[in-house]
Amino acid sequence: MPSLARSLVVHGLALAFVSWVIGRSGELRGDEPAATELGSMPTLAEIEHFEKRIRPLLHRRCFSCHSEEATIVQGSLRVDSRSLLLSGGDSGPAVVPGEPEESLLIEAIRYGGGGYDMPPEGKLPEAEIELLTQWVRQGAPFPVGDVAPLAADHAIDFDAGRRHWAFQPLARPELPPTATDLPPATDPGVASAWGQGRVDSFVLAALREQNLEPSPPADRATLIRRLSFDLVGLPPTREQIDDFVADDSPDAYARLVERLLSSPHYGERWGRMWLDLARYTDTTESWLDSTDQSHLYRDWVVRAFNEDMPYDQFVRRQLATDQMEETGPEDLPALGFLGLSPTYFKELQLPPEIIKVIVADEWEERVDAVTRTFLGLTVACARCHDHKFDPISHEDYHGLAGVFASTRMTLRPTISEERYAPVAKAKARVAELTERVKTLKKQKPVPTEEIGCLEMEIDELSRFTPDFDTPMANVVVDESLHVVLAGDDPQSGTKLEYRPEPQDLNLFVRGNPNRPGPVIPRRFLTVLSDDPPQPFQDRSGRLELAEAIVDQAGPLTARVIVNRVWQTHFGRGLVDTPSNFGLLGSRPTHPELLEDLAARFVENGWSLKWLHREILHSAGYRQSSEIDPAKHSVDPENRWLWRMNRRRLEIEPWRDAMLAVAGTIDLSLGGKALPGEDASNRRRTVYVTVHRREVSKMLQLHDFPDPNLHSAQRADTTTPLQGLYLLNSPLLVELSRELAVRLWREIPDEPVERIRAAHGLLFGRPATEAEIAVALEYLAAAVADDSAGSAESPPKAWELYTHALLASNEFLFVD
Amino acid sequence: MNLHNIPGSIVPRRDLLKSIGGGLGLLGAAQAMAADSSLAAGGGADGATHFAPRVKRVIHLFMNGGPFQGDLFDPKPALEKYAGQRPEGANLRTERPTGGLLPSTAKFTPAGENGVPVSDLLPNLAKHVDDICVLRSLHADNPNHGPALLQMNNGTILPTRPSMGSWFLYGLGSENQNLPGYIVLCPGRPVRFSVLWSSAFLPAAYQGTYVNHSDLDPSKLIPYLRNEARDPETQRRQLDLMQQINALHRDARGGDPALDARMASMETAFRMQTEAHEAFDLNRESAETREAYGEGHYANGCLLARRLVERGVRFVQVYYGNGQPWDTHSKHNESVKKLCDSIDQPTAALLTDLKQRGLLEDTLVVWGGEFGRTPTTENGDGRDHNHHGFTMWMAGGGVRGGMTFGETDEFGFRAVENKVHVHDLHATILHLLGLDHEKLTFHYGGRDYRLTDVHGRVVTEILS
Repeated sequence: MPSLARSLVVHGLALAFVSWVIGRSGELRGDEPAATELGSMPTLAEIEHFEKRIRPLLHRRCFSCHSEEATIVQGSLRVDSRSLLLSGGDSGPAVVPGEPEESLLIEAIRYGGGGYDMPPEGKLPEAEIELLTQWVRQGAPFPVGDVAPLAADHAIDFDAGRRHWAFQPLARPELPPTATDLPPATDPGVASAWGQGRVDSFVLAALREQNLEPSPPADRATLIRRLSFDLVGLPPTREQIDDFVADDSPDAYARLVERLLSSPHYGERWGRMWLDLARYTDTTESWLDSTDQSHLYRDWVVRAFNEDMPYDQFVRRQLATDQMEETGPEDLPALGFLGLSPTYFKELQLPPEIIKVIVADEWEERVDAVTRTFLGLTVACARCHDHKFDPISHEDYHGLAGVFASTRMTLRPTISEERYAPVAKAKARVAELTERVKTLKKQKPVPTEEIGCLEMEIDELSRFTPDFDTPMANVVVDESLHVVLAGDDPQSGTKLEYRPEPQDLNLFVRGNPNRPGPVIPRRFLTVLSDDPPQPFQDRSGRLELAEAIVDQAGPLTARVIVNRVWQTHFGRGLVDTPSNFGLLGSRPTHPELLEDLAARFVENGWSLKWLHREILHSAGYRQSSEIDPAKHSVDPENRWLWRMNRRRLEIEPWRDAMLAVAGTIDLSLGGKALPGEDASNRRRTVYVTVHRREVSKMLQLHDFPDPNLHSAQRADTTTPLQGLYLLNSPLLVELSRELAVRLWREIPDEPVERIRAAHGLLFGRPATEAEIAVALEYLAAAVADDSAGSAESPPKAWELYTHALLASNEFLFVD
Repeated sequence: MNLHNIPGSIVPRRDLLKSIGGGLGLLGAAQAMAADSSLAAGGGADGATHFAPRVKRVIHLFMNGGPFQGDLFDPKPALEKYAGQRPEGANLRTERPTGGLLPSTAKFTPAGENGVPVSDLLPNLAKHVDDICVLRSLHADNPNHGPALLQMNNGTILPTRPSMGSWFLYGLGSENQNLPGYIVLCPGRPVRFSVLWSSAFLPAAYQGTYVNHSDLDPSKLIPYLRNEARDPETQRRQLDLMQQINALHRDARGGDPALDARMASMETAFRMQTEAHEAFDLNRESAETREAYGEGHYANGCLLARRLVERGVRFVQVYYGNGQPWDTHSKHNESVKKLCDSIDQPTAALLTDLKQRGLLEDTLVVWGGEFGRTPTTENGDGRDHNHHGFTMWMAGGGVRGGMTFGETDEFGFRAVENKVHVHDLHATILHLLGLDHEKLTFHYGGRDYRLTDVHGRVVTEILS
C-alpha cells in the first residue's frame, strides 16, 4: 500500500492551498446563483461562439493548469467557469467583464510584463489573443449554470488538532500489570534486574505482547565499552575495564555511570548531538562581517551539557538569553543557535523583489530549524499554504517568521557593554588609523616617519586597551529587516534597512513576499496555544517564543528531547521520526514509556543527566546485542527491544578511539577548531573544523550531516570511498605506526603478549587462540623484509597488522 | 533478488538503506523490497525506473560563467539594426547596468540536413548538428552566478537541496560498483564549489565526487585512492588479514548483514584502486584519440567523461574551467573566440567518439552555462549575465537532433516562445533516464521533496 506521503507531492501548493484561498474568498461566491447575475445572460449566438471558439481555446491552452482537470491548480486560478474567472486566483480577479485592459488574463496572454506570461511555454498566436480579448470586451459571456463544483472549505479544525497524541498534557501512565512477572536476573552482579525500574516495566510489557523475551545481560567488558562510547564518545582504558570487570560491589555499575556523566568529555559527546540539530559551523559565509569565533557557541553547548543545565533553561537561553534577567553577557554565545544560521548571498544591485525572496528564504530557514529542533514540528511547510497534514496554518507560520524578521545576526562581546565601551572606541580608532596608514603608503615619497607614529599608536591601543581581544560571540539582536529600493529609480537596486522596532509580516501569498496578504501579528502556534494565541508584546518576541516552547508546548518539547536522548542511546528513537512529531510522523513504539519518561523528566527539573540514569540503569539498555534467530524472525528491526542494538560508531568517536588507542589523543577542551585533513591534528573530532560551504573530505565520507541543514539523525552508509579512506588515508597509516610503536614499547619481547595487549587495548577483551594464530601467521609472512624491529621502529608487518585492527569491524561497531 | 543472498538472510529496511549507497538505486531497492511500503519513494514502477529509459547516463558540459547565446546558436540580425540603442524590450534588468545593443561578430551558417544555424565559432560542432537539439529558450530565476549555479544543479537558488546527480543516483544507483556513480570534473574549482554536487538531505553516498583534473596523475584524482606506503600485493594480503579478523568477529556474533556489508565494501574499495586508476588514466588512449580531442583541460575533461560513462558512471559533469571562465564582462569578443576554440574540437570529438562506440544511443550530452549573457553591452565591450533567455543543447539517446526548440525575442534577450525553465530541463533529463520527476521524491523535514519542486514540464516536443 502506498502511503499517503507517496501519493501526494507535499511541498506543493496543491489542493489544500487552493481550497484555502477559495475558502477565504467564500464571501465573493457565497451564494452561487449570483454567478449569473454578475453578467448578463449570454445570448444564443454568444453561447455558440463560446462553445465553438472560446472554450476549445481555453481548454487547449489553459485547462491543464487552470481547471478542474489540473492535477495541481496553478496560482489557485481556474478558468473553467465564469465565477471562478471573476473571483480569480492568488493575484485577484482574472477577468473584469468588458475591460480587457484591466483583466489580468489578457495582460498575461499578451506577455505584458505583469509578472505572468501565459501560457508559460510561449506566447499565443496573435489571432488567439485577439479572440480572448474580444470575448472579455463583450463581457466574457459564459453559458448559464456552468459553474464547476468547488472544493469544500478546508479551514483547520484546531480543536481536533489539539487531540493529536503529541500535543496532549503529560501524565504518568499506570505501570503495566506484567511488571511483577519477571524472569530472574541471570547475572548476579547486575544490581537492577528487569522490572525494578519503570522503564523496564514498559519495555517488558511490550515484549510480552509480542511473545518475545528479553536477552540476557551483556558481559561487563561489553557494558563498559558500550557505556563509555555512549556517554563520553571514547573507549575505556584497559585499567578502567579491568577495574570494572573485577568490581563485585552492587553499585559498581551505578558508579561507572556517575563517573562517565561527570566527565568533561560527556559534554563533548552529547554537545555534538545537539550541534547536528543546530546546523553548527565553524566558518560562516564569506559575505558576513563575521568572525572565526563560532566555537564560543559550540563550547557553550558542551558546557551546558556538562553542567546539566535544565533543558528548559537550555532552550530559553539559546533563543533569548540576552533578554533574560538571570543571565549576563558571558552567556551570549548561547545565541549562536540563531546567530550562526545559514545566510544566502544577496546581490544588492538586483531589485528588491528578488532580494525579498532570498530574505524570506532565510526567515523560513530559522522557522524550520527552531520548530524542528525544539518542537519536532515542520512549521516551514506552512510558508506557502496551510500545513497539509498538521494543524498549522499559513498564518501560524507568519506569526513565527515575524519573530525572525525582527532579529538581526551580529556580533557581541561577552563582557558588559560598559566594560566594552572603551574597547569599542579603541577599535574604531584602530580602524581609522589603519585606513590612514593605507592611504599614506600610497603617497610618494612614502612618509615613513608619520606611518611609524601611527603604527605605534595602533600597536599601543591593541596591546594596552584592557579586553581589546575580548571574544565576540555570534548572536542575534532585535532589529527588523526591511528590503527596500536603494534610490528613487526602480533600477537603483536594493538596500537592506535595519530598524529598531519589531515588525509583523504580511502573510506571503503562496510563500511569495512580493504578494503581501494581511498582516499577521507575531505569535505562537495556534494548536499549541490557548485559543486564540496572544500576540507577542516584548520586542521581537524571542523570549515569549522561548517561554511558549517550554511552557505551553512543554509536553511536546519534553517528548521530543526525551526521544532524542533515547535515540542516541539505542540507535533508534521510540518515535523514529525524531524531528517530526506531527501527524505524518511515526507513532511511538512504546507510547506509555515515552509519556512516563517525559512526565518524570519535567518533574525532575528537565535534567538530562537524570534522564540518562533512568535509561542506562534499565535492564533493557544492559542487554546483550546478540542476534537470536528466532526473535529476529519475529522482529528483525528490533522495534520491541528484545536485544540491545549493535551500533556503528559515528566518525567522531571512531576517529577519537583511533587517536586514543594510538596513545596520541589530545584531550584538551574547547577553543578553535583545527582542520581534519591534517594527520597531525590530534584533538577530538568535535574540534575538527566544520566548514559550511566545504565540508572536510573526511567528515563528508563518513556521513557527517550537511551543516546547512538541521539534521535529526545521522545517515549510516557503507561505501567503497570509506573503504579507500580505511586503506589509504595518511591518518590511518600514521596511527597504525604509532599504535605499533606503543605496543612494542609496552611489550618489547613477547609477540603473543603484544597481540593480546592489542586486543585488550582496541576491543576491551582478551584475544582468542584463533585470533592469535591468524596474527602470528600474518606477521610471519606479511613482508619479505622482516627485520627484528625495535620499540622505536617496529617491523613493517606490525604496522600492517595494527592497521588491520584499526580498520576492523570490531573496532567500529559497539555491541 | 540478490539482496537475499546476504548472509543472515533477513535484511531489515535500515540495513538495506545502508547498503544502497554504492549500487542499487532507490527504485531498484524499492522493487527488491516490494512488500515494504514504508520506503517513501517514487515507487509504483514496474521496472527499476518509472518507465523505459532512453538513456542510462548523462554527461553535462558546464560552461561555467555563462556563454552568450547570440554568438553561438541564436542569431539575431536585429542587433545590427539597433546597434548601440536600447529599444523597448532590450531594457531588461540583469545583474549590472548595461548599455545599448551590441551585435555579435559571429557569422552563422545553416548546418546539417535541416539547416540549423550554427556559428562559425564552432565549425567542428556544426558538423554534428544533426545529432543536436538546440534549446533556445532556457530561462532561470536569478542573474547571479552562485544562485544560478545552484539552480542549474539542484533546481533552487538555495544551497540546501540535493543536486541533480544525487537525485539520479538516488533513483537509479550506479552501474559500476568499482567507481563513484557521480563524478564532477573541473580543472580547478567552480564558484560555490561543493554545494553544487551536494546530496543535502539525501544519503551522503549520493553526493558527487569532485575530481580536479588539472593534474592528470590518476592516483591524485580520487581521494585516498593510493597508498604510497603499501604496494598492491602487500595491501592484498593485509586486506585478507582484515577479512579474517572480521570473519572471526562476525562468526562469534552469529552473523549480521551490517558487518557483511562493510566487509564487501572493503573489497570494492580495493578493486576501485585499480579500476579507478585505470579509468582516469588518459595514457591508455591511442594517439589518434588524444589527437582527435586535442589539448587542454577541457579536452581532457571530455575524454575522461567518455572513459567514465563507458565504465558505467551514471553522471559526469565537466566544468569548463576554474572560477567562471565564460563570464565575459569585458573584452567579450576576444575571450569568446578563445573559449570557442578550446571547446569546439573536444566537444565534437566527444560526440564522434560516443557515436563510434555506440554510446551515444543511451548517453545524454547536455551543454550550457548557468545562464546566458545580455545582447546589450556592459563596459562597451562586455556582456552581463542574462537569466531571461539563453541557449543550451542536448544530444544523444531519446533526443531529436537537427532541430531548434523555442525562441528568444528579436534581440535574444528573453525567452518568449516554447520557454524552457531550468525545472523543465531537469524534468526532461529525468524523463530520459526513465524517471518521472513528479514521482521521484524523498521525504524529509515533513514533506516530500523533488528535484523540480512543484514545477517542471517534460519538453516532449524534443523527444524522438
